[in-house]
Amino acid sequence: MTAQIHSFPRSTAVAVTVLPLEARFSLRLRAASREAAEAALGLPLPDRIGRTSEQGGRRALCLGPDEWRLDVPAAEAAAVAGALEGGIPHALVEVTDREVTFLIEGPGSLDLLAIGIARDVRRLEVGRGARTVFDGVQAVLVREGEERFTLAVWRSYASHVEELLRQGAREIALGL
Amino acid sequence: MLLIHCPYCDETLPEPEFAYAGEAHIARPADPMALSDEEWRDFLFIRSNPRGNHFERWRHVNGCGRFFNAVRDTVSDKFAMTYRAGEPRPNLDALKEAAE
Amino acid sequence: MSQPFRIAGHGRVDHAQPVRFTFDGRTVEGRRGDTVASALLANGIHLMGRSFKYHRPRGVVSAGSEEPNALIGTSRGPGRFEPNTRATMQEVRQGLTAESQNKWPSLSFDVGAINDRLGRFIPAGFYYKTFKWPRSFWDKVYEPFIRQAAGLGKSPTEADPDHYASRHLHCDVLIVGGGPAGLAAALAAGQSGAETVLVDEQAEIGGTLLSEPGVRIEGQGAWDWLAAALAELRTMPNVRLMSRTTAIGYYHQNMVGLCERLTDHLDVLPEGAPRERLWRVRAGQVVLAQGAIEKPLVFDGNDRPGVMLAGAAQTFLHRFGVKVGNRVAVVTSHDSAWHGAFDLAHAGVKVAAIVDVRAEVPRVLTARAEALGIEVLTGHTVTGTTGRLRVATVRVNPVQGGRVGAGRTIACDALLMCGGWTPSLHLFSHTKGSLAWDAEAGAFLPDRKTEECEIAGAGRGLWGVAAALEDGARAGAAAAKAPGRVAGVGTFAVEGDRTGSGVVAKELPTDRDAGLAKAFIDFQNDVTAKDIRLAVREGMRSIEHVKRYTTNGMATDQGKLSNINGLMIAADALGKEAPAVGLTTFRPPYTPTTFGALANLRKGRHFEVTRRTAIDAWAEATGAVFEPVSLWRRAWYFPQAGEDMHKAVARECRAVRTAVGMFDASTLGKIEVMGPDAATFLERMYTNPWAKLQPGRCRYGLLLGEDGFIRDDGVIGRLAADKFHVTTTTGGAARVLNMMEDYLQTEWPDLDVWLTSTTEQWAVVALQGPNARKLLEPLVEGLDLSDDAFPHMAVVECTVAGFPARLFRVSFTGELGFEVNVPARHGRALWEALWQAGQAHGVVPYGTETMHVLRAEKGFIIVGQDTDGTVTPQDAGLGWAIGKAKTDFVGKRSLARPDIVAKGRKQLVGLLTEDPAVVLEEGAQIVADPNQPIPMTMIGHVTSSYWSEALGRSIAMALVEGGRDRMGEVLHIPMPGRTLRAKVTVPNFVDPDGQKLKV
Ligand SMILES: [Zn+2]
Repeated sequence: MTAQIHSFPRSTAVAVTVLPLEARFSLRLRAASREAAEAALGLPLPDRIGRTSEQGGRRALCLGPDEWRLDVPAAEAAAVAGALEGGIPHALVEVTDREVTFLIEGPGSLDLLAIGIARDVRRLEVGRGARTVFDGVQAVLVREGEERFTLAVWRSYASHVEELLRQGAREIALGL
Repeated sequence: MLLIHCPYCDETLPEPEFAYAGEAHIARPADPMALSDEEWRDFLFIRSNPRGNHFERWRHVNGCGRFFNAVRDTVSDKFAMTYRAGEPRPNLDALKEAAE
Repeated sequence: MSQPFRIAGHGRVDHAQPVRFTFDGRTVEGRRGDTVASALLANGIHLMGRSFKYHRPRGVVSAGSEEPNALIGTSRGPGRFEPNTRATMQEVRQGLTAESQNKWPSLSFDVGAINDRLGRFIPAGFYYKTFKWPRSFWDKVYEPFIRQAAGLGKSPTEADPDHYASRHLHCDVLIVGGGPAGLAAALAAGQSGAETVLVDEQAEIGGTLLSEPGVRIEGQGAWDWLAAALAELRTMPNVRLMSRTTAIGYYHQNMVGLCERLTDHLDVLPEGAPRERLWRVRAGQVVLAQGAIEKPLVFDGNDRPGVMLAGAAQTFLHRFGVKVGNRVAVVTSHDSAWHGAFDLAHAGVKVAAIVDVRAEVPRVLTARAEALGIEVLTGHTVTGTTGRLRVATVRVNPVQGGRVGAGRTIACDALLMCGGWTPSLHLFSHTKGSLAWDAEAGAFLPDRKTEECEIAGAGRGLWGVAAALEDGARAGAAAAKAPGRVAGVGTFAVEGDRTGSGVVAKELPTDRDAGLAKAFIDFQNDVTAKDIRLAVREGMRSIEHVKRYTTNGMATDQGKLSNINGLMIAADALGKEAPAVGLTTFRPPYTPTTFGALANLRKGRHFEVTRRTAIDAWAEATGAVFEPVSLWRRAWYFPQAGEDMHKAVARECRAVRTAVGMFDASTLGKIEVMGPDAATFLERMYTNPWAKLQPGRCRYGLLLGEDGFIRDDGVIGRLAADKFHVTTTTGGAARVLNMMEDYLQTEWPDLDVWLTSTTEQWAVVALQGPNARKLLEPLVEGLDLSDDAFPHMAVVECTVAGFPARLFRVSFTGELGFEVNVPARHGRALWEALWQAGQAHGVVPYGTETMHVLRAEKGFIIVGQDTDGTVTPQDAGLGWAIGKAKTDFVGKRSLARPDIVAKGRKQLVGLLTEDPAVVLEEGAQIVADPNQPIPMTMIGHVTSSYWSEALGRSIAMALVEGGRDRMGEVLHIPMPGRTLRAKVTVPNFVDPDGQKLKV
């Protein structure tokens, strides 16, 4: 009779892992240069914030009106770094080492993200992403699947965020 | 925690993603050296500080990164509207009519 | 113990499950499902605490979170002590330790109760009148006295071993309150498909239904209907039910804070369980179904243990199977108490009399009372009670035509009172929604809303279960309304409902001297009706002033019981109507909330983010002492065995000046400025010229605000025509990037240039000292590091120790220096490679303190230490960094403002103390004439001050009025007990010609 009432669906399983580094770039350019850059990179650049595109193992996530995050295999880093030389006004900066990316998966992943993210992550569609805040730390969140997310934070914040994620995962596993 | 509509993301998102950035529609003079001391003082320091609708700037700093403009009521704290940087100052009367 | 006041088989507690706990050291037995209050009452214990000011003995007044008296300290082992817990909310658990508060030496004999005798000398405003002057008495006399005398609970002294959780939640409809209105709202919203959350602060959802089992809904008993409703809600995947969850605050745009209590009721703590969870809910619509709170009546002796709210007695009876006395009397101005009295009579309690202040009471009530053999005294008043630690008698008098007749005494062991009901609108008030006085209901009801919310049931003055159900369903359907959702409005057949009405009373009339009556309004803060009237006599007109003068409503219950009674009496004293006097403001939290819940994840090492570099772990393993620098922790110094800070820093300084030191400079802000207009952009942002800086070269950059004051500085390297590597101060990194983005996006959107933060992309190791080149050379591939080929202020992309690197030749020490940037993942490996290679060259690691000393010896500024936001380049002696030919840059116009070009501005100079062994204190004030009268005219302050190992004496930097015109002058630094003397010098103490850089 006095048991804690918690009638909502309980999701107890969530796993947090750190993804190995591949190669990541920040690409900035004007809309007028987008098509030329797509041709040079062999990768469509979505024109809506939050959308992703993929081709040949390369992936772009639009983070701002003139900003994309590019994720490419480590072996292609040099090729991508030089792909836009000449002609296209742009900034292409490697940021692979700037970030640590967590993979969060399992039925409890939405609950786990909700310990630190104020926006309604349920509304983020699969295949989309956003820069947001996790417990005061800027982070880029991508929904890879219904119950699978990546969360990238700057390197020096990673231990703080990882410890909170693990503490949250333990709490969720208790089912209280 | 307010909800703020980013005119670039076209999404209404929680306040921690945003940062306030002062009064809007105060453009840096094209040639500051041509200004008198008094004109330059006014540009630097004189702000409207109204009770009621305030034109102000915000940045979606933990999002798309863009600075944008907003009309916000300094009494209720609520946003009447947001619009992109560079767009003209909206007409408040029209805004009021639209709300009614 | 026998629990003599427990009624077997009655209530919702589990009679088969005894639970033992202690109260003030004495073992008490309750039942599973009891609160501490109900368990104590079952054992005949009414005395549960003492009041704040007079230390009067007090019993439990209510059965809910509004309880002002029964505050206890609870404990479950080391560190897990919680003061000021309401006994009516704390569920019993095996082994719970509970203790009463505000008592010494014991609850039944309290020395502080002498205040009670002195009560007439401690009137309203006593603290303001008495503890006024002299100022010095505050620290030593008044405050300790007040604190000790007051002491509302003891603060815990040990660290809290518990942890607390945090969660964001989004829903269509949030319903606060799980009584009939809230349940009906949840059913309506849930059935429509809306995502619905229902929260209730009690252990059990049900609200008044738990205390009114006699009502029948849809042909079922109230409890059966409740069970069915909860079962139906549990089957809905779109509905969440949360018990033990208090809505503590209602904020902008339907954000509601919830505190969920997870473990305080459990006998055994689950391993690793958080104690509480703070929820931040964002709801499309909020339904406030928080019901109403019963008002006490105001009469002499209304605070005696055993005097309690009639509704509370009804709750103790039905929920917990506890009778609050064997012979009770009732005094009321409202019908509802009659029903409570009938229920008690049915349960076998002798009801000695029902005293109603109204002359006319519905016949159906009086007839029922007479049938039950209860004496009915309508048109009567209560003028006093007796009994030392528990009420023993109540004095009642007839009132006719405003005249109070002769009194008689009725024996009782509990006195139940009811002054009507106050809609619970605290959360609504958090939104600044306005209230309007409803004369018929005798209450403030919700008026103008500021948020998307509905108020349902008793919260808007609707009494009775039927009205609550119907109104709840309406509110739930309205809240759920959205495209694609159909919300039906249910109807409910209710039998045995208890609607009713009453009158709003001020103090009850008395035949005695009202000035001697102790008729309490705020029980916890000991505010009486007399105090309110005194406050008005002494000139308080605003209800906010009356509140602060008397402290009415300022206790932990925030006036839940006292506000309306206080208002009615103040209004009467002012000769105004209640609405003309107005209400005080309710603020979050609704009920006292633990710091743990509010801090939640931000506890211990997570109180604040600690940023660590790639080399941090090496420094930690080497025994470095760390200091916080903005959010980073940085190695401060590296003490060896037996070294204190002074010795370690002196050794590190010597090593850099004579051999080579290595320093983790990774925290410096880094911004990649890239694009065809990169140089143009930097020309506009920084004071320095950039257009002609050749790729492969660096320059010191100075950044001003538009006001002309220094904001940041750092070395900027040009890597290519369209690519610059900008460094900022550690603390300024985010600020500088934001400022640059602001100008770029909003002032110069035409420029083709983009900014990318690379602070964390690169790990940076600085090598400084005469041996730096010798150390580095063998590790660099295919690059001539000689002074000719790679001179001071050069930059190159190359390979160092096998890692791709950006190599700078820069110096922040005045020594030959390099800074090696490698991708952060290689930072630790680079550091260790340099460390190995450096062993042959006398390398030492050094920390931020040595870095500070070495730069001060050269007079290099630290922005934020030697500048304070009012320092111009000329003030800092950095006029050389201004591009003279530039027509504009951020802040240039301000450098020509009259006050900036005026004489006598504070300028950065060096200071050498007359006694070389004395190291000045940073921040110390400087005067020209030490013999002037106090307060002295201060002409500046010390900004940086260190022991210089290189010079064997102290050095300092200072901002001094007209400082550069005072070279050689002796200034004075008054310190406690002595005045120090120091001579003004050029701030460049070591190798002033810079010979050491040219090697
Ligand atoms: Zn945005």
